[in-house]
Amino acid sequence: MAATLSLSGSPGLDPSSSSDQSVSSRSNNRSLRVAEKERKKNEAEDPFVLALKYFSDVEAGTPVHGNDEVEKNMVMVEKVAYMKGLSPEAISIMLEFAMSLRMGTTLCARVLKCLIPATVVPQEAVVRAVVWLGIGKIPISTRILFIKWVLTVFDMIDAKDQLRAIYGFIFSYVTEENLFPFICHLLYLLTRKESVRVFRVRKLLELQSRLGRQPFLLSLLSLYKVFCPELVTLSISSRIKSGFRNHNMPWKSALIAVQKRNGSQVATSISLASAIKTNPRKRKHCHLELPVLSSVVSKEAQTDPSSSRKVVPLVQLHSFAHILENMHRIELPAQMGSLLGSSLALQYLDCVQDESALLRLNFWLGHALHEEFLFCGDGGASQNSEEALQFLNTLLSTQHFLQEGFSCSEAFLYKFLSVWDGSLLRPQILGLLSNIPVVPSSQIRRLLFEPLMQLFFTSSLFFKCGLMECLNNMLLKWLTWHSVYALEDDLDISLNSHTSINMTLSRFKDSVMELVDFVGQLASLSLQLEGCHSLLLSFILDFYETVCDTFLKYGLPLVVMPTPGVFYPALFATDPVSVDRLAYIMYRYKVNLTSAKSQEKLTEVKAFHISRQTFREFNHYAVVMVNCLWNSNMFQPDMGVQLGEELLLKSNVPQYWTSFDLIHHPAFMSYAVDFHQRCWPERKDMDLNSIKHSKPWSWYLEYLFSQGYDGLKQFVQSNISRPLTAAGGHVDRQDDGHVDRQDNGHVDGQGDRQDNGQDDGLSTLQR
Amino acid sequence: MFKSVSGFCLLGPSPQDMERHHNSATRTPLNNVGVQRRSKSYRLSYRSCLGTAASRLGLTPALTARRLNTSRRALKPHGVAEKVDPEQLALLVKTEWQLSYVTPLHQFRHTQLKSYSRRLAAFIAAGKQQGLAVAVENPQTTFRVSFSLVEGMTESADDAETVLIQIHARPSFAGQDEPQRPAWSGWLTCVNGNPDYLRSLPKDFTCLPLFGSSGAEGLGALVKSWFQQSFDCCFGPLEVSHTSLQWLMALWTNCHTEASIQHLKMIWTLPAVPPLEVTYTVNPEDAWELWRSVRKQKENRGGGGEEEENCIDIEEVADFVQGLKSHFYRHFRLDLSAGSLNQVSTALGSAKHSGRMKISNSRYMTTTLTLLTESALLKMPI
Repeated sequence: MAATLSLSGSPGLDPSSSSDQSVSSRSNNRSLRVAEKERKKNEAEDPFVLALKYFSDVEAGTPVHGNDEVEKNMVMVEKVAYMKGLSPEAISIMLEFAMSLRMGTTLCARVLKCLIPATVVPQEAVVRAVVWLGIGKIPISTRILFIKWVLTVFDMIDAKDQLRAIYGFIFSYVTEENLFPFICHLLYLLTRKESVRVFRVRKLLELQSRLGRQPFLLSLLSLYKVFCPELVTLSISSRIKSGFRNHNMPWKSALIAVQKRNGSQVATSISLASAIKTNPRKRKHCHLELPVLSSVVSKEAQTDPSSSRKVVPLVQLHSFAHILENMHRIELPAQMGSLLGSSLALQYLDCVQDESALLRLNFWLGHALHEEFLFCGDGGASQNSEEALQFLNTLLSTQHFLQEGFSCSEAFLYKFLSVWDGSLLRPQILGLLSNIPVVPSSQIRRLLFEPLMQLFFTSSLFFKCGLMECLNNMLLKWLTWHSVYALEDDLDISLNSHTSINMTLSRFKDSVMELVDFVGQLASLSLQLEGCHSLLLSFILDFYETVCDTFLKYGLPLVVMPTPGVFYPALFATDPVSVDRLAYIMYRYKVNLTSAKSQEKLTEVKAFHISRQTFREFNHYAVVMVNCLWNSNMFQPDMGVQLGEELLLKSNVPQYWTSFDLIHHPAFMSYAVDFHQRCWPERKDMDLNSIKHSKPWSWYLEYLFSQGYDGLKQFVQSNISRPLTAAGGHVDRQDDGHVDRQDNGHVDGQGDRQDNGQDDGLSTLQR
Repeated sequence: MFKSVSGFCLLGPSPQDMERHHNSATRTPLNNVGVQRRSKSYRLSYRSCLGTAASRLGLTPALTARRLNTSRRALKPHGVAEKVDPEQLALLVKTEWQLSYVTPLHQFRHTQLKSYSRRLAAFIAAGKQQGLAVAVENPQTTFRVSFSLVEGMTESADDAETVLIQIHARPSFAGQDEPQRPAWSGWLTCVNGNPDYLRSLPKDFTCLPLFGSSGAEGLGALVKSWFQQSFDCCFGPLEVSHTSLQWLMALWTNCHTEASIQHLKMIWTLPAVPPLEVTYTVNPEDAWELWRSVRKQKENRGGGGEEEENCIDIEEVADFVQGLKSHFYRHFRLDLSAGSLNQVSTALGSAKHSGRMKISNSRYMTTTLTLLTESALLKMPI
């Protein structure tokens, strides 16, 4: 309708256009009214509206204690207030309810604390409340709270004229000692030129002479002086900026949160902005804040000026060279926690090895961790996760810098693991966990494995992967410590001059063994649970890549074979990368075992003993792998995986014994097909078995190796002796089309196994 | 609100109940024992991890769960009144203190209390001026801080002497010549601290784990931050745990014959919507009757010799509380085990879960402080 009207009217005619606007607005109004009605009907059942109604109607003198109804309604109002803020009407109702003390003083303060405006604060409500201030018996602390609230929401009050009209009334409160600073602030905000009167100036000057030059008073006086310099003869330094402190703490954060949620523009009020600028006071629990690097208040310097020893506070040092110059006279800071922020300081700490300095740091850090994550009942950690994240990241980078975990974070983790949900700050917690030093094997299960096991099996795949990575890092760090600190000539970890007792190698080995066994258990179970997920498998193989090299890389005479639960899923994995990595791991095992054996023979030291069982396990795995991949000879009776003959026949898989050789293995089948097509492009029907002939077989291997399967290459080269067909040109074709039966390289465990024909040869190659 | 001051029916708790209760009562937050001094190097780590620790405790300190003692000496009128200056003692009793725990103080010297007084006064004056653009004249005259030694509070040779701090201030609107009034006071103490823990600390640390504060919060915060900056320590709130509250109930009731407890009042909170608060007040004679019967049961069970006479076990405490609970259940069909004990008070003192504590009778101070020192030590991060 509006559109047609405006079309009919000539564009130059203002009245018509204005009339159609009014028409359209009227129609809008009608629809608004309908909507309003609808809304009102809905609101009748809204518990919040009911709560407001309760507070506007409740009779004076209703008891509060034990009154469930008021409690329920109060909680309702608080919930809405902190969620969305209160509407102007709600503010009016609640403020009136509170200030009239209809239900006593305790509720009054509680209401004031939740008066968070969603949009604006109606001026009338504030004026009424100020009036109540004069007649009610409101306790002084609540009065202060009220004035603070007015100061906080001052810029959200919809008009100020009535407030200015009662300037004199407000001014009369300056005589109240406790209210005085806040009243001054409020007056400061309300003062106009016409409010400055001689009697007021006189009153303020009188107060000043009695109370001294209080900053808030000076600020107000200086404003008076700006308006009426002739009345205020006092000289006020121009340097005072603001004598008012921020009184808006109880509401500030809630207000900002509500406004953020509402997307309100009112947030950019001056008082809030200035409040943030001047002094963003820290939240109540600020244990995660690093202390400032500051020097100790030097007592000696005062009491003993003759002392020749001049100390240099750490805070004055700015370069590494500077540290080196002053190494002998550096003074540690007053609070060791401040070191965390400074790499220079950490460098110094690393050098001095001061026991009590470290202990101080540990106390501070442990306190922060405990308070933030363990003692806070209100889930404080989730509230300020950003801060917690930064803190833990700082801690982690410090630990990386020092290359050692702090004992307090270790103690903290043992407790935290039992309450952790596995997702809060996961990367950081796992990072800290991977830093913990060697745990004695007698304790490791209770402290570490039991809580971890619970978390592991109840968490997602990604947690499982994360934990695998973490345990791998932990093992790497343990092994690195070992390799750095164990002396070559001594199998025990060093006895230093100032240490009385040491951890013996065997105890260290026990711990490592426990860890590897534990990961083995987790790995085999989780592979079953997750259906041999290749991502998980990859993290598990990462771990075994560390395990297989313990002897050669880290000098720890310990070789632990993977459990069947890991070995077979990796061998039968559908992705070639896993098979390749398994082959690499087996190759490294062989190198390690071979080298351990030769060393064992050389030194004849008992501690070097690697159990026969390990050799046997390795040989077994090697046989299985060679039979599977190379000899097309699956399901040998001595294999770990056994299936009944009938069952295999029943499966109707032709030549089932070949199904996991390098050609038919699901991981490599696509390569075999590709190879077949390249090799014999003219052939129509594909016969993968033809690859098994000696010459194409070696070509096929070359082809696989060229695809980057180095692990496989190393495994084959170290375990299988083949006639070098390609090089030698000697083709040894057999009728059945199979390449010669190759055998695996056995690593012999002990010399006493000579009875079975395999002598001390470390790697027996058979054709 | 329920109130029950009626006579008592003694009802022995069923064995299962006792068992269950005992379990839940003894479970306190896990914590570690002793301080693990871990130096930077691997070797030292090894040593402290397994070496010295093995010789001292048989276990790695950090790896051992620490609990509240399950048995403690009964309250007996202790020599505190004779040992401690009565004026100082008067300052400690009858005030409600907000408790905190404090990690060991580094380089704290009991001989330097004078200089600490001066420095803290200056610190407070500086702190009060922060944010004020105009210097208030003579801030030093506004605050007077005194550190004093409270001798005689210690129980064992390892305990450090208690320190009392008082701050007097002139009200901000008072004239220059008005006298200063006490604005804040607080103390740091250690009574019967775990000797293993105390001995494991290096020499330059002083362990005064229990901190009580009363007065203006702002001043309390300033005092704490001065301590943090001067002695590199940390403060944290110390709640009086459920178990500790029950202990206090039993220990106080145990004194009834010597010093009347007048009433035994408990405040329980039950998790209903809206929360249900139960104030449960017991006639002192009834409480004593119940306690005596619990003690008797123990004797009947054949509880050992002379020295055990004075010992109270956690089982007895649990039985006592269970007796109170089942009495309440008989009357109101409300099982208090579902709720939590928030506050206990008798004429000898009161304690709240939130960590507010009042000792009204100085004679029984030591045992209460021992219990609280223990709780504070349990909170130590290492």
